Order: sequence, then C-alpha cells, then structure tokens
Amino acid sequence: MIKHLFTLIWNKRKHNVLFLSEILISFLVIFAVFSMFVFYYLNYVKPSGFEYERVWSISYNNPLKTKDKDTLATFYKQVRSTLTALPQIEELSFSSHNYPYSNSISTSGFSYKDKKLIGVNFFQTDEDYCKVLGINVIEGRWFKKEDGLMKNNYMIINASLKKAMFGNETAIGKYTGEDKDENRSLIIGVIDDVKTTGDYWPAGQSMYKMVDSGAYEWLGIMLLKVSKDADAAFESRLSKILAKAIPNSNIEIKHLTETRESKNSDTVIPVIICSIIAGFLIINVALGLFGVLWYNINQRRGEIGLRRAIGASGSSISSQLVAESMLLATLSLIVGFFFAIQFPLLSVFNVPPQVYLIALLMAIAFIYLLVIVCSLYPGRQAAAIHPAIALHEE
Amino acid sequence: MIRLQNIEKVYRTDTVETLAIDNITLDIAKGEFLSIMGPSGCGKSTLLNIIGLLDEPSKGSIRIDDQDTSRFSDQQMAKFRNQKLGFIFQSYHLINDLQVLDNVELPLLYRTSSAKERRQLATEALEKVGLSNRLKHFPNQLSGGQRQRVAIARAIVGRPQIILADEPTGNLDSAMGNEIMDILINLNKNDGTTIIMVTHDENMAHKTHRLVRLFDGSQVQ
Ligand SMILES: Nc1ncnc2c1ncn2[C@@H]1O[C@H](COP(=O)(O)OP(=O)(O)OP(=O)(O)O)[C@@H](O)[C@H]1O
Ligand SMILES: [Mg+2]
Repeated sequence: MIKHLFTLIWNKRKHNVLFLSEILISFLVIFAVFSMFVFYYLNYVKPSGFEYERVWSISYNNPLKTKDKDTLATFYKQVRSTLTALPQIEELSFSSHNYPYSNSISTSGFSYKDKKLIGVNFFQTDEDYCKVLGINVIEGRWFKKEDGLMKNNYMIINASLKKAMFGNETAIGKYTGEDKDENRSLIIGVIDDVKTTGDYWPAGQSMYKMVDSGAYEWLGIMLLKVSKDADAAFESRLSKILAKAIPNSNIEIKHLTETRESKNSDTVIPVIICSIIAGFLIINVALGLFGVLWYNINQRRGEIGLRRAIGASGSSISSQLVAESMLLATLSLIVGFFFAIQFPLLSVFNVPPQVYLIALLMAIAFIYLLVIVCSLYPGRQAAAIHPAIALHEE
Repeated sequence: MIRLQNIEKVYRTDTVETLAIDNITLDIAKGEFLSIMGPSGCGKSTLLNIIGLLDEPSKGSIRIDDQDTSRFSDQQMAKFRNQKLGFIFQSYHLINDLQVLDNVELPLLYRTSSAKERRQLATEALEKVGLSNRLKHFPNQLSGGQRQRVAIARAIVGRPQIILADEPTGNLDSAMGNEIMDILINLNKNDGTTIIMVTHDENMAHKTHRLVRLFDGSQVQ
C-alpha cells in the first residue's frame, strides 16, 4: 500500500508542490524557533551560579585626579569602612564594570602551554566579590586580602574554562601562558560558572583577577550585599552617605534583582515576538494544509467512491489520506533535514550541536503532529462520503 | 446466488421523498447474465448499487451467496465487495494519476497479495481485454473503449463471482460497445461469472440470458 501511495504521490508531484513547500518552509521556521527555545531553555535550567537577591550595585565615577596608588587606596579604604560600618551592609566588593547583569563585557585571551582560547570573559574583582555574590568555590580558594599586596599574579577561573583547558586534570597550581611570559598567572581556584549575562545565556568561559590598588583609578562599581532590613529608606540614606563619601560623582544604586529582570526581558521579549510571528505562520500553514487536503478530497470524490466499491472500508479511506499526507510531509522533511543538519555539523553561531539536534527532532515531531491534526478531519469526511453518490457524480 | 426480497428504496431530502425502488423481488442464478432496462430515473442504478452493497435498501433483504448482507459491518461489506464483486461504470472511474497497470491492480491492494502476484494478475487481466500493449499508459492517453476495457480488467482482476455493470457501453459507439459486450459474454461463458448489466440498448440486452424491465421503481416484466 505504501508503494502504491508513493506511486500516486509521485505521479501527482506537480499537484503536490504547494503542499510540499508549505511543509518545508514551516519546518525550517519551526526548527529555527525551536533551536532558540532549546538554547535558552538549556541555559535557563542551569543554575545562575550566584545569589542576586539583596545585592545592590553602585556605580560611581572616581572623582580623584591623582594617579598615586597610595592616595587612591587610602581614599577608597575610607569609603569602604564608611559603608561597611552600616549594619545593613553585610559585604562590599569593588568590581570591574562587567559585574553580573550589567551591559558591559570584557574578554581576553587565555593560554596554557600551546593551547589558546579567545573570548574568555575577564573580570577584575577583589577578595570580597565571592562573598557578596555567594559564589561557590569548587577547587582551591578565592582571593585573600594579602594576594593584593603580592605581585598580583593569581588567577581564578570558572568550571567551563577549566574543563575546556585542563579537562579532568586539576587546574590549581598551573601557570597560564608560556614559560618566558612575564605576566604569567598562577591559577589558585576554580569556581562554579556564573551566568552574568542573564538566565538565558551560557556562562561562558571566565577568568578572574584581583584588582591592585592602581585599579581604583578606573574602577567604577561597588557591589553590596545588604541585609533583609535594607529598605527604601535605607537606600535613600545610603545615597546621601555616598554623595558625601564620594563627592562630585554620579552615583547610581541598582538592585541586581531588577537588573536581572531587565536583562532577561532583553532576551524574552524578542523570543515572544518571534514565537507569536511563528505561531501565526503555523496557524496559516495549518489552515492552508487543511484547505489543500479538503480541496483534494473534494477533487477526489470519484476516486474515493471507486475505492469503496472495490474494497476499501471507510476507515481505510481515511487512513489512506492521512498516510498520504504523512508521506508527503516525510518528503519535505527529508529535504528540510539536509538543510537543518548543517547547523549542528557546522556548529553555526557557536551553539552546541545538541541544541540543534533536539530542536531538529522536536521540529520533525511537530510537523508530523501538525499534518496528522490537519488531515484527521478531512480524512474522516472522506470516509463519510457515500460511495453510491460519489460514483454517481461524474 | 443473489436473492432480493421486497426491496424498497426511498430517498429522502428535506422537501421530497423519492421512491426509487418499489418492492422488487428478484432471484439471480449463479452464472446468469442478466440485463436491466428501463427509462431514465426508473431506479436501475439504485438497484445495482443495492446489489453491490454500495447503498442500503430502505426495506427488504438481500442474500448473496447465502449470506444476509444486511448484517454486515462496514469492514465486512468492504471485504465482500473486494472478494465477490466487480464493478464497471459508464464513466469508467479510472484514477487518472495511475498508469493502466496500477489502476488494474487496485482491488488487489485491499487484500493480502504480493507485488509480484498483483503485477501478474493485472497483466493477465489486461491480456484478457486485449490491452497488454498499454500497461504504462495513463487513462487520458486511451480512447473511451480502451478505458472501459481497463475498467473491465480492474473488475475481473480479483476473480469476482459477480460483475455489476452500469451502462458499460453507454459512452461508446456501437462497434466499441459490441467489443465490450463480447468481452462480458466471454467472461460469463468461460469463467461462469454472474453478470448484471444495466443498459439502454435493446440489442445488448437481447444478447443476455434474461431481461428485467423496470418502470418507476417497479419490475414490469
Ligand atoms: N442520492 C439520491 N438522492 C435523492 N434521490 C436520488 C438519489 N439517487 C437517485 N435518486 C432518485 O432515484 C431515482 C432513481 O435514480 P437512478 O439513478 O437509479 O435512475 P436510473 O434508472 O439509473 O437512471 P439513468 O438511466 O438516467 O441512469 C431517480 O428519480 C433519482 O432522482
Ligand atoms: Mg443510472
């Protein structure tokens, strides 16, 4: 029977072009949308790697004109102790501008022996960063205050970077760069991945270095872990205290919970828009398929009547029509598959192949489902065609 | 072989009721070649459809091959049609998207058979109707007479005991019509197939064993 249906479909190929291309296009659109969903979903289910509740970011401009390290260090030491004296502030850390959910990124290369990675996130932080954000140290340790007094060649990396560079070996005690390199860093710790660009994006590979006192000249972010009773009143008091402690500086206090939401909606809103557009497209395609099938059945009343006369039952008529649409869909999907499979094969957009493969399977399942749903009712109608009447018509 | 008892068929639409068959009782013996005649609209096709299990009578019973067909399920009727009945229509009802051979194979698709077997039976059936040189043609590449011969091949490919032909020569000129008639007569003679044929042509009707005349749904002779 399958072979018979193939013959029938093949002989009517011109007639079926519309159906085939509709399926092909919707498959590709669905594949794209599902790839996006799967990508975001797989990232979303991974832990964020830190705590954003009760973390506030303070951005400021360094008002001091001096480049003198000691002056800078003294000034910011004073700022720090003013703030940490407040009971509502539990922890405080200075950070480069690319703190979690900020819009800044900073990347650099990372090399070990003759292996080199590019595009590694580069964070400059201090000894309290880990405590403010509640980051989990997997191996080794976080920076200590004394590390800042050293030549400052310590480095901490995240789990992804460790895995990419060192695999199952330990990273602790390894020096980055080549042997002759003056600026080699010693890896002293490995931490959990921190999703700094929002819940829907991968953490990527990251390295952390401790700021030295010279960095105060350009640092512009403080991160605070505040206590539960840090309310709006406290925030406005804090803002006044800051204005006094760091005069002539544009101070802005933000809550990481809010920054996170706006960062996430940067991702979610386009996804929703895409989904709505794709949804309308699918509805259109579904109606189109439905129409094509319906039309075909009315075109084929004579054939249906004949098939009934020579031995087809009503149910075999409807299953034949559903099977025909499934076969047609399969033809389109084979073509679509060859396009879609290029994405995981070529690792397009640096997305992990498994994302594309999952999306591919989902899109195939979706198309079959769509075709079944759209052909069930016309199939039932075809089964209900009265053979005597259909045969009488022509 | 076929026993119709007090068959009545009423078509009901919203406004009118048509009595298409009015109390017909008819016995058809195995191996008989029966023709049905009558003016247009007298219920010939309706009667044939009822015998062919394509339509249900409003009243009365049909026994074919000693089986009461009124109790058949849709599946059983389909199977019965497939195995015991062959249909020939005035307008051929070939599937235009299938080659001659595929058209003839159709009934065999609804029973268990191998592709090879189907091919062979269909080729044989087409040989019988003298079309073995047209296997790969599509129906619209054939003349009317040739199409009807394909339809006959399709009707006989499953070796049915009964063939129901509704004006098989109605669309053909008399030469072509005679050819088709000869094929049917041979089938009846050589294979013992029971044939019931509706026709408007007295000449054709007289070539058969028995003639039944209908008028306004009733048997008049
Ligand atoms: N599906 C239907 N619904 C309503 N009435 C019908 C239907 N089919 C047939 N009839 C009516 O039943 C009567 C018998 O029709 P039938 O087709 O059996 O005639 P016929 O003898 O085959 O005529 P013809 O020689 O023109 O083919 C006609 O009056 C017709 O109008
Ligand atoms: Mg008729």
